[in-house]
Amino acid sequence: MRNGRLHPITIAAREIAYIFSRMGFGIAYGPELEDDWHNFTALNVPEDHPVRDMQDTFWIKGEPNKVLRTHATSVTMRKLEEMAKSGAAEMRWINPGKVFRNEATDMTHEAQFYQLDGFAVGPTGTVTLASLKGTFDRFYREYFGPNTRVRFRPSFFGFTEPSVETDVWFEMPGGKGQWLETAGAGMLHPNVIKNAGLDPEKVQGFAFGGGLERLIMIKYGIPDIRLFHAGDIRFNYAFDEKPV
Amino acid sequence: MKVSLKWLQKYFDTPLPDTAALAEALTFHTFEIEEIAGDTLDVKVLPNRAADCLCHRGIAKELSAILNLPLTADPLRQSPQNMDLRNPYFKVEIEDPKKCLRYMGAVVKGVKVGPSPEWLKEALESVGQRSINNVVDATNYVMLDIGQPLHAFDARRLRLGTGGWKIGVRSARADEKMTVLSGEEFELNQNISLITDANADTLIGIAGVKGGKATEITAATTDLIIESANFNGTSIRRTAQALKLSTDASQRFQNRPSPELCAYGMRDVLALIQEIASGEVAGVVDEYPTRPEQNRTVSVQLAKINDILGASFSKEEVMSVFTRLGLETNIEGDTFAVTPPFERTDLTIPEDLVEEAGRIIGYDKLPATGLPPVPETPDQARYRGIEKIKDQLVELGFTEISTQSFAERGDVLLANPLDKARPALRKSLHENMREALTRANYAAPLVLAPNQKPKLFEIGTVFPKSGEELAIEISEPVPDLPKKIQDDANYEPPQYHLGAYKPFSVYPFIVRDIALWMPSGTDDGLTKSLIRENARELLVRLDQFDRFEKEGRVSLAFRLVFQSIDRTLTDEEANGIMEKISAALCAADYEVR
Repeated sequence: MRNGRLHPITIAAREIAYIFSRMGFGIAYGPELEDDWHNFTALNVPEDHPVRDMQDTFWIKGEPNKVLRTHATSVTMRKLEEMAKSGAAEMRWINPGKVFRNEATDMTHEAQFYQLDGFAVGPTGTVTLASLKGTFDRFYREYFGPNTRVRFRPSFFGFTEPSVETDVWFEMPGGKGQWLETAGAGMLHPNVIKNAGLDPEKVQGFAFGGGLERLIMIKYGIPDIRLFHAGDIRFNYAFDEKPV
Repeated sequence: MKVSLKWLQKYFDTPLPDTAALAEALTFHTFEIEEIAGDTLDVKVLPNRAADCLCHRGIAKELSAILNLPLTADPLRQSPQNMDLRNPYFKVEIEDPKKCLRYMGAVVKGVKVGPSPEWLKEALESVGQRSINNVVDATNYVMLDIGQPLHAFDARRLRLGTGGWKIGVRSARADEKMTVLSGEEFELNQNISLITDANADTLIGIAGVKGGKATEITAATTDLIIESANFNGTSIRRTAQALKLSTDASQRFQNRPSPELCAYGMRDVLALIQEIASGEVAGVVDEYPTRPEQNRTVSVQLAKINDILGASFSKEEVMSVFTRLGLETNIEGDTFAVTPPFERTDLTIPEDLVEEAGRIIGYDKLPATGLPPVPETPDQARYRGIEKIKDQLVELGFTEISTQSFAERGDVLLANPLDKARPALRKSLHENMREALTRANYAAPLVLAPNQKPKLFEIGTVFPKSGEELAIEISEPVPDLPKKIQDDANYEPPQYHLGAYKPFSVYPFIVRDIALWMPSGTDDGLTKSLIRENARELLVRLDQFDRFEKEGRVSLAFRLVFQSIDRTLTDEEANGIMEKISAALCAADYEVR
């Protein structure tokens, strides 16, 4: 009997999990139907922030406190709360998972997609923005190829300060290279650390998040994000597959 | 926010570099650039800086810090205090000081409305604005220059009471309507703040969004009431959303510029109007119910900056950043005590100053250090447990699918579904599996061998009444499949290498079988290539599905799948290709059965 085929997201997640596991990251999961605290409030998103508006976030009928998580950073918050309870001195997790945005779909946007979120925290001075740069350097080089480079640009997210946007220099095999935006990141905001029950004077770390499909689209030249979750096996078979 | 090179140059004695160099400087130290068109940059101002950077002065200040070029003159560092704050003819009444934080009004008499001077027209057009007349252009210019939204009303269209003019700021009533400058009429609601002619109780503007048609500046206007106000950011955002009316003014107010800015805006617009439309300022009122506290001093130690960034910046480097940004800074030992100017409302905690140091010095100056190794193996047990089940199913011939979480029916309903036909969260994966299997059965000849039947599985989150859980769905029963996924810390999921994506056609395909006797001395592979050569690019799949030998002869059977990448194939086309293949095979001594 012939084997079936894994979904390309599974194949990518395995490759990514393997790279991050060698840098000491575990893999964490959390609920997709999230509460306001873990998705917004604890992550330093103020009460009247535009992102909470109906046009950006899916809210649940009859449960004003529940949302479909808009990012997997909610898992980071849950893990930080665990850290406060357990008294652990450091933590590293990646949180690959489905997230939801109430926006019109097109070739590069879906209302539901996967995010590769992650974070590392430790005692003050041990996990820095420079550590993030090194972590990304290694991750993207191993995932996209040895010619890959990483650069940061200033950005803004409520849950990180400083915040950066990450660009990756990617060269298609035999093709031209270009800079592509792949992830938002930064140093966890002291309010987030505090909201988890940790002391921002003693604990600091970085967090990052970006679309998982986007990485796969870049790596394999996939033109349309809507191919991923259409339940169509032709997508699984649109790649030559070889065991490593 | 569009900014023009020429306008920015006004802030510098030294010639600025070209737009490409400015774009590069801003991109890596402040903001992304959305577009460069000629001498105009479209700057994507970040939300935390929209209070002070939605204007040329804000962008110029950033460039001054990045390029280390001093500003010739900074309008926000020249105190507007010498304004003549007396006005016997004019009052302002604010109903709710939480919604209107400050209202400055001025009366200007005897203006001559007409076309703007060329430099002004050119400046506005360079950033995509239309020149209207000298008075309106002056208000727009000052807004785009220093960020304060301004409005001019025709004073003669307001009722002059015994105490003079009276401007009111109040909430709309449920049944009120108003026609704005564009001529559009809007139905209002109680959450919307209005500007009124309080003597007549008529509406003259939607606060912070747009002025009314009735008090429009025309060629006949001689006297002006100028508004330089500050309205609550949330309330303006909600108003703009409710009315679907986003304006330059509403975009600025919703980002909460400091109410201190009103006085600078008023000073500049009065000066400009008098310069280009003459007139005389008859007086200014300033209704400022609650002055915000001055920005607090924020202290940060050099060690903290380097601890967060992972850098080894010197005291001098960091001090230079704060100086170039125009932040009042005192150093004591290794501690910087920074008091931001009024417009920098975003600098409130030490980490904000860390960011200023990091971005202005440049993130490219940070080393890439990575993380120290950890002693324990990271916890991936849950993930490995899930992957183990997937691999078991793949070995049994199942292919993994991923489907949408929204469903026609379910126990959890969305308050705001995107697709009205799918307002619920799926409570099982069953429905999606049924649909996917139908599609897979249809697509099977394209991707599977002739004797292979599609088998599918999905592992995904479902939302039944009992609570969210991870479900396994399979298209046909498998004995001994565990109901619940067990963690497994030790399982090593195999890795796969994928080739580049090969686009597949969305058009229908046609399947044809062919059986033939091979001439002696040929082989199966040669037969396949003979078929391929003659079928050309419309053959998307070729499988051999039978082979037997009889009386020294070999019989082969193939299945061919035809499909076009850009159109629907007809049966005639497929027949034509099959005939060509048959003919070629016959010519090579095959016998087609």
